[in-house]
Amino acid sequence: MKYAFFPGCKIPYHLPQYGQATRSACTALGIELVDLDFNCCGYPIRHQSFVASMFSAAWNFALARQHGLVILTPCKCCFGNLRHAVYWLRENEELRQRIRSMLHEQGLELPPVNELRVVHLLQALDSDVGAARIASAVTLPLQDVRVAAHYGCHALRPGAVTQFDNPLSPTIFERLVKATGSEPVDWPMRLECCGNPLWGKNDRLAAKLAVKKLVDARAAGADVLCTACSYCQLQFDTLRPQLPQEAVAGAPPAVLFPQLLGLALGLAPHAVGMEANTLPSALQALA
Amino acid sequence: MNFFNVTLTLSLALCLSGLLFRVAVWVRRSLPGSAHSPAKRVVYSLKETLRILFSPKIGAVLLAFFRDSLLQLHLLQKSPLRWGIHFTIFAGFMALVLMHAMDGVTAGLMPGYEPTLDPYQFLRNLFGVMVLAGLAGAAVRRWRNKGMRRTTGSMDWFALALVGSIVVSGFALEAVKMSSQQVFERMVEDFSPFLEDEELAALQAYWSGQGVVFDAGAQGKEASAAMQEQGEEVNENYCGSCHANTASAFVSRPLAMGIAPAASALDAANAHETLWYLHVLLTFFGLAWLPFGKMLHVVTTPLNLTVRRVAVSSGPQEMAAGLGVDACTHCGACSAACSVLPAFLAMGNRNVLPSEKLISLRRDAAGRLSDRELAAYAEGSFICTECHRCTEVCPSRIDLQQLWLHARKELITREQADPHGLIVRRTAAAWSAYFQERIPQGANVVDTRRPVNLTDRRESFWPCIQCTTCTSVCPVVAAADDPVHELDLTPQQIMNLMRMGLKDLALGARMVWSCVTCYKCQENCPQGVRVADVLYELRNIAAERMRPEPSREDEDTQKGAQ
Repeated sequence: MKYAFFPGCKIPYHLPQYGQATRSACTALGIELVDLDFNCCGYPIRHQSFVASMFSAAWNFALARQHGLVILTPCKCCFGNLRHAVYWLRENEELRQRIRSMLHEQGLELPPVNELRVVHLLQALDSDVGAARIASAVTLPLQDVRVAAHYGCHALRPGAVTQFDNPLSPTIFERLVKATGSEPVDWPMRLECCGNPLWGKNDRLAAKLAVKKLVDARAAGADVLCTACSYCQLQFDTLRPQLPQEAVAGAPPAVLFPQLLGLALGLAPHAVGMEANTLPSALQALA
Repeated sequence: MNFFNVTLTLSLALCLSGLLFRVAVWVRRSLPGSAHSPAKRVVYSLKETLRILFSPKIGAVLLAFFRDSLLQLHLLQKSPLRWGIHFTIFAGFMALVLMHAMDGVTAGLMPGYEPTLDPYQFLRNLFGVMVLAGLAGAAVRRWRNKGMRRTTGSMDWFALALVGSIVVSGFALEAVKMSSQQVFERMVEDFSPFLEDEELAALQAYWSGQGVVFDAGAQGKEASAAMQEQGEEVNENYCGSCHANTASAFVSRPLAMGIAPAASALDAANAHETLWYLHVLLTFFGLAWLPFGKMLHVVTTPLNLTVRRVAVSSGPQEMAAGLGVDACTHCGACSAACSVLPAFLAMGNRNVLPSEKLISLRRDAAGRLSDRELAAYAEGSFICTECHRCTEVCPSRIDLQQLWLHARKELITREQADPHGLIVRRTAAAWSAYFQERIPQGANVVDTRRPVNLTDRRESFWPCIQCTTCTSVCPVVAAADDPVHELDLTPQQIMNLMRMGLKDLALGARMVWSCVTCYKCQENCPQGVRVADVLYELRNIAAERMRPEPSREDEDTQKGAQ
């Protein structure tokens, strides 16, 4: 399996450990990732201009197609926006024409709509490798680690657009968590928003949503909160010191899924960038 | 004082005072993030400089200077082609400056130096060709490469043209001098004034026979072999030690042959003098202009590359930041790599691109942005996704990301922000009035400029039965202590306004701008109303009506995008 690796804007500088962990885990499981000169997926600009957002997304599909590759992204917001582009470019003839001519002006070609393809890291792991094969590749099963799998909105909903999993009752994340030997916990807020999209826009509300989820994960007895999205990890780990500390005292630290997976596969903590996490307790919880 | 010395002194004085002015700007200007007084900045920078000069780090500094500034290995690493182009211009021009422009100094360093002797005559041509080839490469690259052409401005073409004209005028001058009777006579007068007439005629015949074409044909071709031989002897005795045969001047010599038919006319018109003035004036203009245009980078970029290698990031950074801003060569590498380049192409605000945003930042620090330009600069600043790529690719190693982050903070204190930040400054009612005044022409029915348009089509909302599911599943509504006060409207109320065709009333509602885009409303709507997509679209409509008017340049881009 070979994919064009789409790290998005946050991973290279703000969250290098996610890129590192994804590469390490994928290499270990035989998924080849190729680096291309991708642009922003268009997610942040969508508040201001739908056309600019779809154009950004389409640009990336055009690049991937030049190399005959399907895009793989570990970021759910990138995934979601790229999926929105697939949906709207398929559904809306006028948008398709406009984006095609905008790309053409840049010497790029809009791929046929049925060749606009993007998968999320979790999907590739689940369908290309499969939970069973992952489980058999695990050398250090993370027994007794209770994991709150945090789904992330933009991959999940709207289900008709993202086609990630059942949007009301998804199972993919827990299935993969189980494959690492750890134990997924049932927590009522697992499908809720992390609050990060409002960071910098309405910090109070953004923090409030994060606290709610952390408190819920703590109540469910989770040792770690597991994310599979750049923005969710930024929210629960990088920005954790900015949350009201009393409210989140004792709440589980956040860990990226490929970090969890990498450790279970026997990779060294530095190979999955554990030292780059803001909360060192993540590694302690998994040790 | 002659003309040469007067103009040289004048342009040197201009150059030096210009450079001092730049340093003064670093001391006094407040760039985003500036916090220290000018005195503190100067004291800190001097102290740091001295500390590094007298520390073991000096070795690293010298090595870095050699690698980064002289060999430019960091460019080679990124692109051999780009390095080749830049290095040939740099090396060629620097060699000409040292060996030709400052040949008084060169003569002191190299005994036996004469500009008219080989290998200097040959090298001068070689270096000139290097510069011209590099310039041609740069021009072709800036023109052919789409990413580069986007950001190439008049200043870039001007700099290429100026350097090119200095070299071309030099070649032209050399060629015209070779074919000038007057120049020949002047040289004889200066260096061998006691030649007999016969010797003089023989010398001229010899030079004409050598293919140097002054007075072409008149004597050279008809001169007898004996005369040529005598001329050769005269040349050896009187000229040869300081003046080689011109054959090694592989550009000027063929050029001189080329203009041979016009040689006497050019000579009669004193072309060699005119060209001398032109060449000297162009060169001195370049010198005087150095601190005020993009060629300043020959000073600031090596400095910045060195400073960024050794400087620590604590302490007053204003001088370093000022130097960084001035170290931009406008090469466009940042903009070509910019993650949000498509946003620029679709929305047409040049300030989205780092190289152009830096120009606005500099002008803003000098207080030279109009209100409209400031708003455009702010829009560009807030569209940046902080991906850090510009900073990574910058060959001058300017800490761009730091500038952008400081700039955003500073813009917020000046009432600038992204649409989310602007919305909270007025009430929903005040925004509603504002937005109703700014309905674009023809957009009150169905705005056809938007290919996907939900809000103008009432059928998007026909299925809505006002069941309030969207509101009850909304995490933002759930997190609000007092939804009416904090959010103005609930999602279901917004859908109701849409049903009634009253979208302008909803554009400023806090709910629209507090949406976390989790899509729970849309996923859970029993009637399939695209609630979250509608909120997105409302933000798009409001953002468009809040946009600054485009500049003329940007208008062109926007037309191209539509």
